[in-house]
Amino acid sequence: MGRKPKKNDSLPGSLDMLILRALSLRDLHGYGIVQFIQQSSGNELLIEEGSLYPALQRLELNGWIQGAWGVTPNNRRARIYKITAAGRKQLEVETRKYAKLTLAIERVMGMA
Amino acid sequence: MESAKRSEALREEMELHLAEKAAELEAEGMTPERARSEARRRFGNVGLKYEESREIWMTRFWSELAQDVRYGCRTMASNKAFSALAILSLALGIGANTAIYSLMESILFRSLPVADPESLVVLNWRSHPPQNANKEWVHVVHRIQGRFWLGDKGTLVTGIFPYAAFETLREEKNVFSTLFGYFDGKKRALTVHGQATVASVEFVTGEYFRSLGVLPVAGRLINSEDDRPGAEPVAVLSFSASQNRFGGPSNAIGQSILVDSIPFTVVGVAPPEFFGVDPAVSPDLYLPLHTNLLVDGAEAAEMYGDENFYWLEVMGRLSPGVTIEQAQAALAPRFHQWVATTAKTEGERANLPALILNPGAGGLGSLRRQYSKPLYVLLAMVALILAVTCVNIANLLLARAASRRREIAVRLSLGAGRFRIVRQLLTESVTLALLGGALGVIFAIWGVQSLTFLFSGGQENFTLRAELNWNVLAVTAALSVVSGLLFGLAPAIQVTRPDVMPALKYGRVSGSRSRLQPVLVVAQIAMSFVILVAAGLFVRTLNKLQSVQLGYGRENILLFSLNARQAGHRAPELATFYADLRKRFETIPGVSSVTFSHASILTAGHAGATYRGTMKIGAVTIEGAGVMAVGPRFLTTMQIPILAGREIEDRDQSESPPVAVISERLARTYFGNENPIGRRIALVDINRDVEIIGVSGNVRYGGLKNDGYPMTVFLAASQFPPDQVTYALRAVGDPLSYIRSVNEIVREADSRIPVTNVVTQAAEIDRTIRRETVFAKLSTGFAVLALLIACVGLYGITSYNVARQAGEIGIRMALGAQRGAVVRMVLRRVLILAAAGLAISVPAALIASQLVKSLLFETQPNDPGTLALAGVILVSAAILAGYVPARRASRIDPVAALRNE
Repeated sequence: MGRKPKKNDSLPGSLDMLILRALSLRDLHGYGIVQFIQQSSGNELLIEEGSLYPALQRLELNGWIQGAWGVTPNNRRARIYKITAAGRKQLEVETRKYAKLTLAIERVMGMA
Repeated sequence: MESAKRSEALREEMELHLAEKAAELEAEGMTPERARSEARRRFGNVGLKYEESREIWMTRFWSELAQDVRYGCRTMASNKAFSALAILSLALGIGANTAIYSLMESILFRSLPVADPESLVVLNWRSHPPQNANKEWVHVVHRIQGRFWLGDKGTLVTGIFPYAAFETLREEKNVFSTLFGYFDGKKRALTVHGQATVASVEFVTGEYFRSLGVLPVAGRLINSEDDRPGAEPVAVLSFSASQNRFGGPSNAIGQSILVDSIPFTVVGVAPPEFFGVDPAVSPDLYLPLHTNLLVDGAEAAEMYGDENFYWLEVMGRLSPGVTIEQAQAALAPRFHQWVATTAKTEGERANLPALILNPGAGGLGSLRRQYSKPLYVLLAMVALILAVTCVNIANLLLARAASRRREIAVRLSLGAGRFRIVRQLLTESVTLALLGGALGVIFAIWGVQSLTFLFSGGQENFTLRAELNWNVLAVTAALSVVSGLLFGLAPAIQVTRPDVMPALKYGRVSGSRSRLQPVLVVAQIAMSFVILVAAGLFVRTLNKLQSVQLGYGRENILLFSLNARQAGHRAPELATFYADLRKRFETIPGVSSVTFSHASILTAGHAGATYRGTMKIGAVTIEGAGVMAVGPRFLTTMQIPILAGREIEDRDQSESPPVAVISERLARTYFGNENPIGRRIALVDINRDVEIIGVSGNVRYGGLKNDGYPMTVFLAASQFPPDQVTYALRAVGDPLSYIRSVNEIVREADSRIPVTNVVTQAAEIDRTIRRETVFAKLSTGFAVLALLIACVGLYGITSYNVARQAGEIGIRMALGAQRGAVVRMVLRRVLILAAAGLAISVPAALIASQLVKSLLFETQPNDPGTLALAGVILVSAAILAGYVPARRASRIDPVAALRNE
């Protein structure tokens, strides 16, 4: 626990994008999504795990993801989420928005 | 439901998350405790996140609801006529239900406004009545002062006990925390600052107020010290009495008052909401039990010592943790043991009273016994009206749904969920119902006022504490929502059915004919018929009662009572006082004759007659005759025919030979065809004889519902003087206009005597049939309302069908059909619906009418005349409702209709 992991609060709304991205590759339950984000970011991104659940509710209400009762790889009952067609469209939109934003920041920082 | 399921799922998800995280950390080598707390730390605030998640879809729910309500209001606004009609009819239905329910709440469900009413119990006992009414009732009860009523299996039930029983039961300290007694002191003359008025008095034991947990608004309440023979006489006023008589509670404290000319000191005032323990009355004055020794003198002294004199009513508060069943089990043997010691003979021991405990939270049950059945019947009627209203609106919505199909179909095809649209439609109908409910509350305010007025029938001491409290309003709101769902559901499901898709293609609203609509109209007709039959039965009952032959005059008579004994007058001066007053009343201009009797004819049965013992003609005992002590010119004033001899006159003085007038039926029964004039009746108990001087027509007394004409013996009031008298004044014009003159004469004679029970003879008679009058009026109103609503429904569906079939009718007419034939065709369908409704409802009405049997008088529940009349009214109304659209159908221009096809 030496270094302080970077919390994902620098870019508001990016948690939604990360969740959609995770689910676009495979159906996951809540903890599975956390694990996926952590592992694929090389443990650089540590999200506040509790914030996942309000986000999941929001995404589900918007019709971008859909939860259903299923079984985890460890054989435990859990709500498994999958992305919907509308969700994939939304992921594209957010990815484009994100690319634009990072490009803008890189320009400001003189990196581009 | 939905929300609870989601919350549960969310909780489970979060717990799984924490468990998995902890397991992972444990696998990395942490101790289980460390792992669990670390998992929690990384998760953040669990409770907060849970609430945040819930909030997301709760917010959504409310915003969607708001959206639906807004949309619903727009739809309503665009359909003003429909919405107004729906809201108005709902308001009538819900308002009627609210009004009746608020009466039920106040009479049947409400608790006494005292501390912890649930632990109060009322002590009653029951016993079998005498097998043969003519035989003397062999029983430990030798004397009574109080009421009996019918219990289960023909038993008689009452709440009165001898004082000794109260003292015995009071010792059962482990069952009751306190036991207290009281009895109705009836009306007394209350003199405040020299002015006499009438006040109702309640005599209460010293524990009464403390046991009920009532606190005074001023001064102190009666305590055990006050309730001893010889204690300083103190009185507690009701809040309203303190305001009316003293101008406020604080002014009354320490004031001296006279109760029947005995001085009392006012020590306290009860709180405004307190009305004693009987919701049917509201005493003005509470006096310590033993002060009746002062007020009533020697008679009262007998009450305390006599173990066979039943008069004190008793309530108790159960000790904490004791149930009413346990208390009953403990006390019943104790009471049995005690009452057995009071039995004087074997016959008395054979039929001992058995103690029963009843819940006392609602106070005494006299109002409940009297009104629970009528109220349930009324509630059933208004519930039916609301049902008719709901069905009607469902029907109108169905008709309207046809025109909304296109809109709905578009929304469905754009991907809106069916559930979402049903929900939106239901929100719309519930909004409609809630608006109706809100308006209904206004109707209910008015309804409660008029119902209270109707039920009281102008009786001054009638207390109905009906009000629209939160309890009632909550029921109204629930009723509105349920109604909205009820009438909204069927149309919402129908209109979102997937097979409405073709509607989008064709855009025509003709669509398929709804199978639901005729069913709903038939249901409406059936329910209306049931209400019509009930109304018919109640109106018939009232007519029967009104046509009862009284045997005496009803109009132009003013009645009022005086009690000079309470003001200190004593025999023999008492009798001359009453006789002199009669002569003075006769001098009032416009008054043709005045008389008096110990009670009015209607109340003579239960008011204490001056002679109650055995009467004999020779060796034969007279069975079942009533006695009335009357003043001069009684028969003339009351317009009772004198069939033979003469009536009691001024010349029959106390020292002249005692006389009697008997009724025709008594004469027939005991003298046959002989002339009874000059024969004698022996009043065995007081060892006196009276001579029969006349025969009167038969008089029906005690009330209109009592069957037949009991035999009557009229004695001269001068020779058998009563304590209290009721005067009857026959005068021209409105009897009530003579009250002023009467009051002046009484004040001149003795200002301490209040004039009470002022009423016209007609009003007193009407009072006895008050319930029947209320029922006849209300049910007629309800029937008209239901019929009106059903007709609107019938009219609606017929118009709709005519519009739908305009093309077909056009073709028929083009092919030569006559207008009359078209009218007949349309009307035939209306009559089929009406006939179907009747077929269902005749058996239903026959069953329902059996339930109101006990409320009818000389009317059979299956009265064929009433059924036939209701049927004729219903069919005529149906034809009327169908005729307008039928006529419109016959005016269809074939060319125009076909062009539109």
